[in-house]
Amino acid sequence: MEKLITRKGEIRRIPLYVDGLDEKMEGGVPEGHIVLVCGAAGTMKSSVSFNSVYNEAAMHGKIGLYISLEQSYPSLLNHIINMGYDLSKVNILLINNLSNISAQLEQIRNSKRGTLIFADLGCIRREIKDIKVTATVNEGWINVIKNLVKKIKSELELDLFVLDSLSALYVLSKFENPRVELFYIFQFLKDLDVTTYLISEMPLDGSRYSEFGVEDFLCDGIIHIRLTQFRRQVVREISIVKMRATNAKTDVFSLEFKDGKFQALYGGQNPLL
Amino acid sequence: MGTITFGFKNIAAKSGHLEERWNYDTNSLLLAAPKIADIDGDGKQEILFGTKEGRLISIDLDGNLKWSFSVSNEYTDMELMFLDAETSNSISGTPNIEDINNDGKKEIVFGTEQGILHVLDYSGKELWKFPTGGPIRGAALIQRFANNQTGVFFGSHDKQLYFLNGAGQLYWKFAADSPIESCPILTPTPVPMIIFGTNDGTLYSINLKSELLWKYAIGRKILAQAVSVRDEKENLRIIVGATDGDIYCIDENGALLWRFHTEGAIFSPVTVDDINNDGKKEIVFGSCDNKVYALTIDGKELWNYETDFWVVTSPLIADIDGDGRKEIVVGSYDHNIYILDAEGSYLLDYVPGVSGIVGQTGQYGEALTKQPGKTKGKKIWQYQTEGIIVGCAHIDGSIIVNTESGKINDLVHRKT
Repeated sequence: MEKLITRKGEIRRIPLYVDGLDEKMEGGVPEGHIVLVCGAAGTMKSSVSFNSVYNEAAMHGKIGLYISLEQSYPSLLNHIINMGYDLSKVNILLINNLSNISAQLEQIRNSKRGTLIFADLGCIRREIKDIKVTATVNEGWINVIKNLVKKIKSELELDLFVLDSLSALYVLSKFENPRVELFYIFQFLKDLDVTTYLISEMPLDGSRYSEFGVEDFLCDGIIHIRLTQFRRQVVREISIVKMRATNAKTDVFSLEFKDGKFQALYGGQNPLL
Repeated sequence: MGTITFGFKNIAAKSGHLEERWNYDTNSLLLAAPKIADIDGDGKQEILFGTKEGRLISIDLDGNLKWSFSVSNEYTDMELMFLDAETSNSISGTPNIEDINNDGKKEIVFGTEQGILHVLDYSGKELWKFPTGGPIRGAALIQRFANNQTGVFFGSHDKQLYFLNGAGQLYWKFAADSPIESCPILTPTPVPMIIFGTNDGTLYSINLKSELLWKYAIGRKILAQAVSVRDEKENLRIIVGATDGDIYCIDENGALLWRFHTEGAIFSPVTVDDINNDGKKEIVFGSCDNKVYALTIDGKELWNYETDFWVVTSPLIADIDGDGRKEIVVGSYDHNIYILDAEGSYLLDYVPGVSGIVGQTGQYGEALTKQPGKTKGKKIWQYQTEGIIVGCAHIDGSIIVNTESGKINDLVHRKT
């Protein structure tokens, strides 16, 4: 359940670890918020989300869960290592089958280091393609995600969660009534009190931040990353569209990744100029 | 020319109030109405209901637990990951009670979210169960045939309508195009028809050999059980509500006779009875436009009454205060039980200079109802419970109310 505060400044925040941006939003995302990280392909949505979870694990011993619906674990790990993240600073746990999760979690139960748990649902899908369950396939995969999050939360105290991506979830689970079903998914996440980044592919026309539009007002925050072309150069730009309980500057910043760190350059001006 | 509307009160005004006799806390959420029956043949009625966590509970009429049966988990750990742990064992429908195996005692039949139809004996011991390929969310229909054999009909999310005998053996199953969440009915016609609705909004009629007779496309989910009734000319009418907010009246050949529109989805079966002692049957139902409606058998509105939230459950028609006149009992999502005057309250439109005031007696009599004007729903009593009302039942002056939060309330009328 969402906690009630009694005075300003009491809200604990999770930084995005993007220099120049966190300070424009009172230090970061309020703990327990559900944030849409949206943009087109290639905008580094996954990397920005991972960056926050990794740094919280490495610097503060937090536990983060990254569920990938589209990218395989080896592909994701190669990408992360290639970006320069030092994975030796954290425990890494891979969940690629659903039968021994508790035993896996037990291995790191008493660790003082932070932990990154990767769940490769693509791999799990291949493994259990013949499973017989009475629930429909649609509900089934949403339940897998919910049960994973719930299990880790109850056994290890999960702090951060990334779902990569909402768009892939929609392909996997055809929602009959998206407004109702998404309401309950968001409610589930809010009740768990886990800071959540939901990665959302924006429609090509850029008319809304998510597939059904309803996610925009169900979430607590929206971080928008976009590609902007300047002559033959393309640069990334980031802005905080919405962040509840936060006095956030909604300016557009240029987003750069340099020396293993994200930076938001103030002014929304093209850094090439 | 303007009109002046007069409201008239019933001369024999209803007195008293509703009060709680007892309540029973199930410590689980409830999803459906209770069923009341003497299942063990001891001359005393029992109250039976299922819970969201998967228990079938029997309590006596004083609110004491008699027994409870827990649905067991039939899944591996991996399969459980694909299920919603909070609902995987849920009992979503009202249990049905009948002597299905001719042993002189009644059995209890109910389905679960696991997709299993369970049959228990009067003491809560499981006699048999029947697995299907999807959740069973509606109640099962139990039918006794002329040869004294019984049949169990029920639908499943696997899109099949099942017909079992009293021992749990499958006679046949009928494949629909969509999941079935409504409880089927069997028409009292020389050639019985099985009527049921599906989630794609189709009303099916099949015979006892599982042959399709007709289909009627409504287009939106049909979750309510259809009701068959004979009109004044003894013609069969099938009346069903759908989530598009309409009540449909269909003849026995599948042709639409009339439809009545409301502004909210309809989830529960209509109740049919002669509510105003005029010798004709009326239709009463609730809608998610927050209203309870009373219609004539021809689909003309008699009155409506607006509560503060959705009316999802079926109204009950009973004489609550023992005065020989019927009342309508309605549970609303606004946490309240409403007792409504079955006849409504008459409003007379007086048009100055045109209508004569003479003869406008303001009573419920024939003379008045022939005058120009209209009737509106009239609340007699109201009782606030602790939760959303998901169903109620009536027995011997008691209204048994199931709330979503897990409380069962026994409400009675007191004259003072």
